[in-house]
Amino acid sequence: MAPQSPVLVVVIPLIFAFLTFAFGWWRKDLCYPIALVAVSISFLASLHTIYTVITTGTIHYYLGNWEPPWGIEYVVDHLNAFVLVIVSFISLVVAISSKRTVEQELPEKVVYFYCIFLLQVTGFLGIVVTGDMFNLYVFLEIASLAGYALIAIGEDGAPFASFNYLIFGTIGACFYLLGVGYLYIVTGSLNMADLSQILPHLYHSKVVLVAFAFFLVGVSLKMALFPLHVWLPDAYTYAPSAVSSLLAPLMTKVGAYVMIRLMFTVFKPHFSIELIPATTILGWMAAGAILFGAVLALAQIDLKRMLAYILVSEVGYIALGVGLANRNGLTGAILHILNDSFMMLALFLVVGAIMYRSGNREIPQLRYLHRKMPFTMAVLVIAGLSVIGIPPTCGFFSKWYLILGAIDASCWVFVVVLLVSSLLNVVLFFRVIENVYLEPGEEHAGRGSELVIANEEAPLSLLVPILIAGAGIMLFGILSGKIISVVIQFAVPQYFVTL
Amino acid sequence: MLDFILSKYNYWIYIILMMIGFYAMIGKKNLVKKIIGINIFQTAIILFFISTAAKSGGTLPIIEHGQGHGAHAIEAASYVNPLPHVLMLTAIVVMVSTLGVALAIVIAIYRRYNSLEEDEILEKRKWPRNLLF
Amino acid sequence: MRALALLTVILTGIILLYGTQDMPKWADPGSPASIHVSPRYLERTLEETATPNAVTSVLADYRGYDTLGETTVIFTAGISCILILRIRRTQKRKNA
Repeated sequence: MAPQSPVLVVVIPLIFAFLTFAFGWWRKDLCYPIALVAVSISFLASLHTIYTVITTGTIHYYLGNWEPPWGIEYVVDHLNAFVLVIVSFISLVVAISSKRTVEQELPEKVVYFYCIFLLQVTGFLGIVVTGDMFNLYVFLEIASLAGYALIAIGEDGAPFASFNYLIFGTIGACFYLLGVGYLYIVTGSLNMADLSQILPHLYHSKVVLVAFAFFLVGVSLKMALFPLHVWLPDAYTYAPSAVSSLLAPLMTKVGAYVMIRLMFTVFKPHFSIELIPATTILGWMAAGAILFGAVLALAQIDLKRMLAYILVSEVGYIALGVGLANRNGLTGAILHILNDSFMMLALFLVVGAIMYRSGNREIPQLRYLHRKMPFTMAVLVIAGLSVIGIPPTCGFFSKWYLILGAIDASCWVFVVVLLVSSLLNVVLFFRVIENVYLEPGEEHAGRGSELVIANEEAPLSLLVPILIAGAGIMLFGILSGKIISVVIQFAVPQYFVTL
Repeated sequence: MLDFILSKYNYWIYIILMMIGFYAMIGKKNLVKKIIGINIFQTAIILFFISTAAKSGGTLPIIEHGQGHGAHAIEAASYVNPLPHVLMLTAIVVMVSTLGVALAIVIAIYRRYNSLEEDEILEKRKWPRNLLF
Repeated sequence: MRALALLTVILTGIILLYGTQDMPKWADPGSPASIHVSPRYLERTLEETATPNAVTSVLADYRGYDTLGETTVIFTAGISCILILRIRRTQKRKNA
């Protein structure tokens, strides 16, 4: 097991997806335990991987024992292993929580749901751990196809939202493939490490420039970076609860990881920052994303749609960290990958619990919930504080590093943008929390018959993941210093350390 | 100039084909036409890759030479580059799978709205009760 | 809307065509793609994989993992179609 752990992380959910399908025909209620076992083994393998990376350095795993660039290679360094652990842990938490919501929303599709769920997790893990450009495309397509299907089975309006996502996602994947093709034509190699050796001689070439542009646009489409985010709000609002809890924390972060990998490992930072002002453009797009997401979230009545716009804003934070192109900014971006995953996980799980119990997600209808669902609402408050950025929740620390990075780069506009967005987030969450903890007075008594209130606290299989997510938000806030010094410090490319 | 065109025209043809498909994807309102656009776009990318595998005077990448005493050296330049062919076999499979899932989603949309035109569907949808974003 | 789509398409096409300027000539046996990685596949396919067809040996041996991914894509698409198209047997739950 030990030296094979990078591959096992990807292959175990894949095998168990086939097994789920096979056993599901026999007995339907075996699917949930099999899926849990698969994701747990994958999580343990990812823990072993990050432990190996921290103690012995970058892992190079040759698939089929063919040395690169003739064979496919798995390269796991600190950045990789970090995102790998996040992805597998969040998949595990969502898998635990999915039982009740899937039974309620998708009763006759349970077997196929868990099969595609595991394939989606395989896709994400495969994207994160690979060191080969075309292999990344294959796993990107696995993840995308599974995502289109998972979103299309949601409530009314979901198939159309999924079709929109399909169009945009296919454009993104095709642009990525075009980029790979252009690079292959002038270098002849598909391996990331090999490309990073060959490309510096070709930085003046127009082909490389066009390939870089297509990579960035393709990955931005997948990552939902403003202004290419239009597919995200509809897709994540109408998707089933378990699906949006899985996709919202992960899809955008995996896209952000691919962007960091392409910009700073395949193309050296010298290229992305100095030869082409890619990071400058990225920074401005990110600022637009932060403000646009926060402002539009204010206009929403549906809580889940509001969270989808907050997600657009959070992607902006990560892109801003990359766009600042200095050590603090990049540290903030990578830390925000962790923090935002847990915040979005907590928020979407809470919405899933509210939907499960009361069937209604509109913000004015959230009254009385603090009496009926106290723990769930407590986690909602914690997650809200984290989005705003209040210590000791984790959101504060990533925003702190981003502001430090903006000050280091003397981009005062970005500092202002970050502070304004925190204010907007305060307004957003105050509106929600006020409705949750409000006791309506006599003048609202007449409308009580319209309110569909939850009967009781969320069931245990939903409550435990919610509490885990909430605890994670607080825990990662307190431990941020340790996380940075052990993992993130080595994940930032060497170029920025000596800057 | 003529030499420049003759040496690059394969790329140009496929890029123009790609753009036709791309326009169909984003400019047309009918859902099935968009799917046809996806197909054209991805097929053009596949053909683009394959055209880069050619070598003048090259033959199929199937090595036929005797073992042992009949052996002679294999010159890579006399065989066509096999790697883009391999990549595109995978890409064709991905293209067909995307087509399948897209058509399944369109069937689901048709069952619900009884129409395949984007503007009709947007009218029939229950709008969220806020801004049109 | 159509104008915006046309503009985007033309812009993308121009950028792609601009990129082809530095590309190697069509069917050039000395292009980087023909020199760097693939000669080994052709030269050593018989001794390393005992398969005369170089495309097969790359597909199934040197880059076999991509083929595993490809079969997974087909499987995903198949199960996705079932997942999307399966109709509820009972409409009662929806109306309850």
